Amino acid sequence: MAAFKAFWNSPVGPKTTHFWGPVANWGFVVAGLVDMQKPPEMISRNMTAAMCVYSGLFMRFAWMVQPRNYLLLVCHASNESVQLYQFSRWAKAQGYLEKKEPEGQH
Amino acid sequence: MAASKIQALWNHPAGPKTIHFWAPTFKWGISIANVADFSKPPEKISYPQQVAVTCTGLIWSRYSTVVTPKNWNLFSVNVVMAGTGIYQLARKIRHDHFSEVQVPAKE
Repeated sequence: MAAFKAFWNSPVGPKTTHFWGPVANWGFVVAGLVDMQKPPEMISRNMTAAMCVYSGLFMRFAWMVQPRNYLLLVCHASNESVQLYQFSRWAKAQGYLEKKEPEGQH
Repeated sequence: MAASKIQALWNHPAGPKTIHFWAPTFKWGISIANVADFSKPPEKISYPQQVAVTCTGLIWSRYSTVVTPKNWNLFSVNVVMAGTGIYQLARKIRHDHFSEVQVPAKE
């Protein structure tokens, strides 16, 4: 009970934007996980590449911002993993990860 | 005079030498990527992804006005992001439910 109260009243808790902003960003992770089940032709190269850079930058941001935001950090670390995986699926489907000469349509 | 103003900006604690500048600035890349994808066929649009883009854009637009100080850069990037998400969703919904008569949308 005391732990819950501490969380509830925390300066980065559910009464603050420091909590709900990162919660909103978990939507990207969930969307990425769902999209992992889909065929790679549906993956957007532009969006996935942008996400990889975006989450990389925001991992650093979450670490450096005051107060340090671990929820945001974990969110973007997860998204980075998911988006890198999706990007590799896209690249493989395009033939970029073959050992021989890739055709690479796009 | 102008030089010292530029120097002040350059050395600002949330200026271009810091992540506080580049992370929000790069967030524009998501909107740019989405705009580039406007020309893609709607079959390739991902509902979960565009819902995520729209919702985060809307939530962060709201929150950027309640933080101190108000962050208009963060506000504008998220408004535009939500806008691109809504447009992509509209394209896909229109394609899936309001155009094809023969083949039902598999999604």
